[in-house]
Amino acid sequence: MTRFLRRDFLKGMATIPFLGYFGLSFKQNILAEQAKSRTNYLDDLGIDHLDILNYQIPASNAKNYKPIRIGLAGHGWRGPVLLRALGFAHPTWIVENTIKGKPNEEVSLFLDQEDLNLKLTGICDTFSLRAESATAASVNDIHPGAKNGNRKPAKIYASYSQMIASGEIDAVIICTPDHLHTQMATEAAKAGIHVYLEKPMTHSIEEAVALRQVIKSSGIVFQLGHENRQHMSYRIAEELIKKNVLGAVSMIETFTNRNDDFGAWIRPIDKRGTPQTINWKEFLGDTPWQEFNPDKYFNWQRFDEFGTGVTGSQFTHYYDCMNQILHLGIPESVAALGGTYHFKDPRDIPDVMNAIFNYPKRGFTLTYDCTLKSNKFRPMTILGADASMEVGNNLDIFKDSLSKRYTKIVIDPSKPIYNYFPDPRVDGVTSATASAYIKSGFGRTLVERKIVDTTYLHMKEWIDAIRGIGAPSCNIDRGFEETVTYILANISLKEKKMVSWDAIHEKAVLS
Amino acid sequence: MSNIDTSRDRVTRMQIFTLTFLRVVIGWHFLYEGLAKLYSPGGWTAELFLANAVGPFSAVYKSIATNHTILMVVDQVNIWALIIIGLGLFAGIFAKKFAILGMGLLFLYYFAYPPFSGYSVSAPVEGSYWIVNKNLIELAAMLVLYWFPSSDITGLDKYLVKEK
Ligand SMILES: NC(=O)c1ccc[n+]([C@@H]2O[C@H](COP(=O)([O-])OP(=O)(O)OC[C@H]3O[C@@H](n4cnc5c(N)ncnc54)[C@H](O)[C@@H]3O)[C@@H](O)[C@H]2O)c1
Repeated sequence: MTRFLRRDFLKGMATIPFLGYFGLSFKQNILAEQAKSRTNYLDDLGIDHLDILNYQIPASNAKNYKPIRIGLAGHGWRGPVLLRALGFAHPTWIVENTIKGKPNEEVSLFLDQEDLNLKLTGICDTFSLRAESATAASVNDIHPGAKNGNRKPAKIYASYSQMIASGEIDAVIICTPDHLHTQMATEAAKAGIHVYLEKPMTHSIEEAVALRQVIKSSGIVFQLGHENRQHMSYRIAEELIKKNVLGAVSMIETFTNRNDDFGAWIRPIDKRGTPQTINWKEFLGDTPWQEFNPDKYFNWQRFDEFGTGVTGSQFTHYYDCMNQILHLGIPESVAALGGTYHFKDPRDIPDVMNAIFNYPKRGFTLTYDCTLKSNKFRPMTILGADASMEVGNNLDIFKDSLSKRYTKIVIDPSKPIYNYFPDPRVDGVTSATASAYIKSGFGRTLVERKIVDTTYLHMKEWIDAIRGIGAPSCNIDRGFEETVTYILANISLKEKKMVSWDAIHEKAVLS
Repeated sequence: MSNIDTSRDRVTRMQIFTLTFLRVVIGWHFLYEGLAKLYSPGGWTAELFLANAVGPFSAVYKSIATNHTILMVVDQVNIWALIIIGLGLFAGIFAKKFAILGMGLLFLYYFAYPPFSGYSVSAPVEGSYWIVNKNLIELAAMLVLYWFPSSDITGLDKYLVKEK
């Protein structure tokens, strides 16, 4: 009986021996597991400290300066984005992005921007409805630091030249079709007006040489519209390259993969755009006269007299990312092939193309592959002897399985040894082109644990520089390097020949 | 009240063994999850788990991820809750109370990534789940532990629970 009771009493501790076993062995097991799935190789990579992670957005202290008077040329697709970056949102955009009385994330980001103390004083757009819509943005009282209210409406100018000559503008944003960029930037610089110029910069190498000269001699502050300069993943990539994490770089791959009409520049033609509402002659700029053509007006990117091809529209972005990270400069020679094989609509630009940019002194080539008939996402990739890097909104580094330097790192080669994964919230963007844009690292970035719009940061950098704080990161020299690079590819594609760069005479040479 | 009387004479030894086994494996799982996070190099955080949340309540989870202070508290509470619940179930002490807490945690994990059709998760998941996933099954198992306790027989609760 007592034996039975004792046994019964001990039953309450039945599981304790197992707990004991657990207690003795769990730690060893956790450590073994961690060694297997180790994700922290920073010591091995020599990057346990990255300076750029301490980066802080410089304060503009705009209130201490007098307001800068801004003029805008071109209020189409990109124009409104640039205006919002400076704190001017169209009332309809606010309404559309306010759900049940609550601003959505985009509006919240907009309102969180620093008030840069600007006045939007001038607008010009050859399509009258778009100019009017920009004025509505200029007086909207819902904006960052909305206390100062009472905004005055921007004046609509009949032409860009009139706006520049008005004497009412200190700085201009040029966001018109590509063929107008050089002409407009030149005119502004000559008048001493600071320029924020959307990419791509020019149509020809001669124009690029001339524009660089004008900008430099004018002393104005010039920023080219490559907001990737503000993205943390590219800044981190730059530091990682500087610290030689990848070893000898032998190849850099960039891509455009699109498979929708918008991405192929088949964009809606606004029926209200007629010779009465559109100043066609002004749109043509310096190009030879031709009859009014709404398709060309709204989809100018497909036509050589206006656009700069897929290289100017798309490759420029990726080139500038790589130029930011690797300080590429201009390639020695370029070969490009491709053509218009799929689209039957009027278009001068290829829908399939590959270009190779040769950098013998650096020991690498840069390639650009573009298809407008496949949406497969291919990240920009930098191939090094010890590791490769995939970079966009996220950044991953993969060890080279035969690296002689990282022998201590034992890992499945498909798993990254370094990963920067800043903002998982890329949903909420519906169109394929837009989500590819964010995935490629152009929309938002995470700085000081806050999500910030890169375009805002890029324009703020320009405004700050105008006030004497800091300098623009995508200045005329970077713009020049980029322009020569994509124009060499365009020449090669047209001529079906390899093209070299004569750096002394600053000329393209066909071989 | 439980439908089965768990007093010694009504429950067979196999039944008690089974319930104890279930309690120990769940306890083991919780305890190990908690300790693995506690010992994770550089500190463990639920930030990505929360920031990536999907489903009808994703906004709540995401908002935790964006608030640094709250996130730090949530991380610590999660780690220590896992450890304490795990110990409680394993050793059979306050096992019923810990079963409730455990169900609460699992409920939160479940709704961060509810396997309802229409919510796609970007991370690859092993297996195929629709409404029922492993979190829900573990939650159901804990419900069994709650209504069919074994800790008053094969756990330290035996010494706390007064004999009827
Ligand atoms: N940095 C980026 O991420 C980015 C993104 C998109 C576009 N862009 C660049 O922005 C520029 C504009 O592109 P978009 O997509 O907005 O084109 P768009 O055709 O939608 O807009 C161009 C606007 O310019 C107006 N315009 C045309 N001729 C004019 C003139 N002579 N004077 C004043 N206004 C004139 C048009 O009416 C139109 O509203 C392009 O150079 C493009 O490469 C940059």
